[in-house]
Amino acid sequence: MDHNRLKGRLPFPFETIAVAVAFSPRLEAILSEARQLARTFQANLLLIHVGKRTPGKEAILAELCGHVGIGSEAKVLWQRGDPVSGLLKTCKENIVDLLVLGALRQESMFRYYLGSVARGLSRSAKCSLLLLTEPRTDGSTFSTVMVDCVDHPKTLPTIDTALYFGRSMGTREMCLVREVDPAGLAMVMSDDSTDRERETVKEQLLLEAEETIRQKTGDADVGSMQVVNSVLWGRPGFAIRKFAEEKSANLLVINSPDSRYGLFDRIFTHDLEYILEHLPCNILIVHSRLPGQI
Amino acid sequence: MVKLSQPDLVIMLLAISIMLIFSRIASELGKRIGLPSVMGELIVGVLLGPTLFGTIAPGAYQTVFPFAENPHVSLALDTIFSLSVILLLFVAGLELRFSLFLRHGRTVIYTGFGSMILPFASGFAIAWFFPEWFSVPVSGSKYPLFALFMGTAMAISALPVIARILLDMKLLKTDIGAVIIASAVFNDVVGWIFFSFILSLVGQTGGSGSVISSLISIAAFAAFMLVVGRYVLNRILPWTQTRLSWPGGVLSFSLSLCLLCAAFTEFIHIHAILGAFIAGLTIGDSVYLREQAREIMHQFVTSFFAPLFFVSIGLKVNFIQHFDPLVVGLVLVIAFVGKVVGAGLGARLGGMSTRRSLAVGFGLNARGAMEMILGTLAYDAGLINQTVFVAIIFMAMVTSMTSAPLMRLFLEKKAS
Repeated sequence: MDHNRLKGRLPFPFETIAVAVAFSPRLEAILSEARQLARTFQANLLLIHVGKRTPGKEAILAELCGHVGIGSEAKVLWQRGDPVSGLLKTCKENIVDLLVLGALRQESMFRYYLGSVARGLSRSAKCSLLLLTEPRTDGSTFSTVMVDCVDHPKTLPTIDTALYFGRSMGTREMCLVREVDPAGLAMVMSDDSTDRERETVKEQLLLEAEETIRQKTGDADVGSMQVVNSVLWGRPGFAIRKFAEEKSANLLVINSPDSRYGLFDRIFTHDLEYILEHLPCNILIVHSRLPGQI
Repeated sequence: MVKLSQPDLVIMLLAISIMLIFSRIASELGKRIGLPSVMGELIVGVLLGPTLFGTIAPGAYQTVFPFAENPHVSLALDTIFSLSVILLLFVAGLELRFSLFLRHGRTVIYTGFGSMILPFASGFAIAWFFPEWFSVPVSGSKYPLFALFMGTAMAISALPVIARILLDMKLLKTDIGAVIIASAVFNDVVGWIFFSFILSLVGQTGGSGSVISSLISIAAFAAFMLVVGRYVLNRILPWTQTRLSWPGGVLSFSLSLCLLCAAFTEFIHIHAILGAFIAGLTIGDSVYLREQAREIMHQFVTSFFAPLFFVSIGLKVNFIQHFDPLVVGLVLVIAFVGKVVGAGLGARLGGMSTRRSLAVGFGLNARGAMEMILGTLAYDAGLINQTVFVAIIFMAMVTSMTSAPLMRLFLEKKAS
């Protein structure tokens, strides 16, 4: 495997899009979505199945591909082994820019703690992922897109990727969201502060957050999209999840995690886990490769 | 039911009101020169206690604070002070989110462990090898517990003081602020759980069996509350906050849970503070607890119970009589060296520059109110003598007051 080809590779343009084939009842809709994305971004399409290759599965896949208009230009890869590591390995080998897969909005507690394929991939994403909660055969719309602008070097490429995605997919409104975590403030301010001081501190933090978003977007190419900046006061991950639900967003764009999330992160829920606990809409996890990373 | 007599009730109410009035005045005055409220409250305690008031007007002192002569008033005040410390630990737990420690990766893990291990080891080693410096008899059954306490006292941090310093320096929401806060969370969670383990061993004579049973009880209770309790709470809290009266419903629910947990841990022979602390951690970690509810709980405790508790510290001993410059100096040196070197080394190994690592070390060095609570509980349990108690309180004050200027020194030099 040539790791040098991945080093420093930008998260966009999407030159190769892969779809995780799970033979679920929603497979046709997911294939249809993947085909439309590949067409829009003029990308190569890969169909990956990790599991036993049987004539029955081959026949179903061929039939569904025929239905949705996927031709022989799409490459089908059959792999054996663990679905999460198998998919990640195949994506890395084939320099996949975006992996499309279906995901349930909410999973049972047992399944959530054990980890499904979609959640497992999200926790250790090494390429960008598009989780579709309600894939449609006629294609999902992405008219309202939200971007989580956390304070991290990956955020800038994530915003650029979201803008690239939005411009191509006909997004009307893009909301850049920054969360201000009130951790520790109640304790600090309750001790020796007046109401006015408390309000001033809050306002100051919100203003600083707004300024940070403004600096991040700068003179980016927003096309015909309306770009709105929002600052949320709340727990990172949870606040944006609630906001995306309230605003009926079609897509939430977030950074890929720096390190693999484990069971402890699920027990002491934080950041990405709040989103994975209950997906508010479709999720695009952008994997930006910082210098030296693959 | 035994009742307080009318004169006893008058004296108790008078004592409480004097403590509240003077502590408020001292807090407001202290605020003008940048002192945290807790410092003002402690100074009031020292002035009202045997150090000054008790010395210049012993008769009046014995009338207002009749701890030695009137067992009824003494018991009533002690109950209020015990309730205060339980609620203080509850609100301390409210702000400690363990997830903060998980989310910041390598730097925080190294800093958190560094700021815990080296201070603990240095405090424990000095107390273990040189107990005579602290006038602790080696033959006594409390000698190993004293060494464990000294380790814990050096390892703990004071999140409220640290958060305030970071806020004033506009560092609270920066990466260095996040590292300091997350490491302080780790220090406090581990430190308080370990301290309750030490307290559970005071007075026990069951050997290794009782140590193991205490450890199992603490681990089982903490694990149950933080996993099952959190899960159940996340289902109850939204209902409580929307269906019951606001804010009475959520306040009653949270405080009842705190006291229930405190009662339970006291019942199983672990100190009540552990129950309150874990209840605070469980409730505070829930995303469903509204910020306003959190603020109300803090205000409820910090405006009534906290002043009473911190003033009561000054009432316990004569700070001049028991001030031993050698012990105070020794405790200060161990505290500074252990924490600054431990946390600084951790931050450096975690990838920070030397100057920023030192700033992290000095930031975490603030002990403040948490150390005072720890020292008071250890003194009440008979783990430390009056000289060490005074040294611990003095160390808490010095580390809190020097933390901000020393942090600034390293951060500003870097900026310039």
